[in-house]
Amino acid sequence: MIKTLLSDVFKNDEVIFLSYGGYFTQPLIVAMTETLEIESEKFFISTRLATNICIVFIELSQNLMNYSKKKNNELDPKGVIVVGKDEQNNYYIYTQNIITKKDKEKIEKTLSLIKKSSLDEIKKLYREIRRSGVNSHKKGGGIGFYEIAKRSKYIEYEFETIDAERCFFKFKAVIGRNETVK
Amino acid sequence: MEKIYIEPTRYTPEIYLDPDKGIISLKGKSYPENTFEFYEPIMKWIKEYSKNPKDTTTVNMEIVYFNSSTSKLFFNLLDILDEMRDKSKVIVNWIYDKENENAKEAGEDFVEDFPEMDIRLVEKDSLND
Repeated sequence: MIKTLLSDVFKNDEVIFLSYGGYFTQPLIVAMTETLEIESEKFFISTRLATNICIVFIELSQNLMNYSKKKNNELDPKGVIVVGKDEQNNYYIYTQNIITKKDKEKIEKTLSLIKKSSLDEIKKLYREIRRSGVNSHKKGGGIGFYEIAKRSKYIEYEFETIDAERCFFKFKAVIGRNETVK
Repeated sequence: MEKIYIEPTRYTPEIYLDPDKGIISLKGKSYPENTFEFYEPIMKWIKEYSKNPKDTTTVNMEIVYFNSSTSKLFFNLLDILDEMRDKSKVIVNWIYDKENENAKEAGEDFVEDFPEMDIRLVEKDSLND
C-alpha cells in the first residue's frame, strides 16, 4: 500500500530533494536537516524560506519519531517523509504514517481548526496555547501543527482507514516559492 | 551556585550560566529529542538563581531555529525571569541574524507576550560574525 502511495508522490515533473521511509531517530533527523541546509545554500534559497523548510521538516520528522518510539504492536512505527518542489515551484514537505483512530480524532480537531483560520488567527492561537500550558506535558507542547501552519502557504491532510483501529495519516505542508534575494 | 557551561551540539545550543556576573546565555540551534529533559538542569539552575539574583541579570538568546517544544520551554523560562523582576533588573537580548526574519518574529512574539519585560531585539549583521 505504501508503495502505491509513494509512487503518487514521485511524479516526473516534481523535483525531490530528500525522501526517507522507515524508523525515525534523532541522529537521522539531524543529518537530514543539515542536508537540507546544504541543499538550500546550493539552490540559493532565501534564508527565510530555508529556515521555514528546516523548521517544518524538524517538526514533522520529530512527530514521526515520536510515533516510531511508541511500543505498540498494532501500529507499524515506520513513516515516510518527502521534501520536494512542485510544478508551481513551491517547496513542500509530505509525510505519511499510521496512527490510531484515537490520535486521528485529536489531530483532525487541530487541523480542521487551522484550515479555517487565517494566518493572523493561527499566530494568535499558537501564542494562546503556548501561554496556557495546555498540552505542555506532551512532547510537542501541542503547538507543533500551529508552528507548521505559521510557516506554510497552506496545508493539506487526509486520513485513510486501514481497519477499526488504525488509519494512514497523510500530511502536506506547502511552504512557498523562492523569492529573489533582495 | 555554580557556573554552568554546556558545549553546543548539532541540535542543542551552547549554554553558559554565570551566577556571579548574572549572565544567562544560549546560542545555537535547539531541537533536542526530549526538550524538557535536556533543559531540566538549566531550568533548575534558573529557578534557584531567581531566589537570590544579582542586581542586574543579562540574558542573551541567539537561537537560529528551534522546535515547538523549545518554543514552549523558552516561554516558561522567560516567565520565571519575568517574576524575578522585583529582585533584579532583567535585560533580555534576543539576538538574530539580519537575514533571519523568522528569528526576529519569534523575538517580537516574546516582546508582546511579556510587555513588562525589557526584551531587546538585537539585529546582527551576518557579515560581521
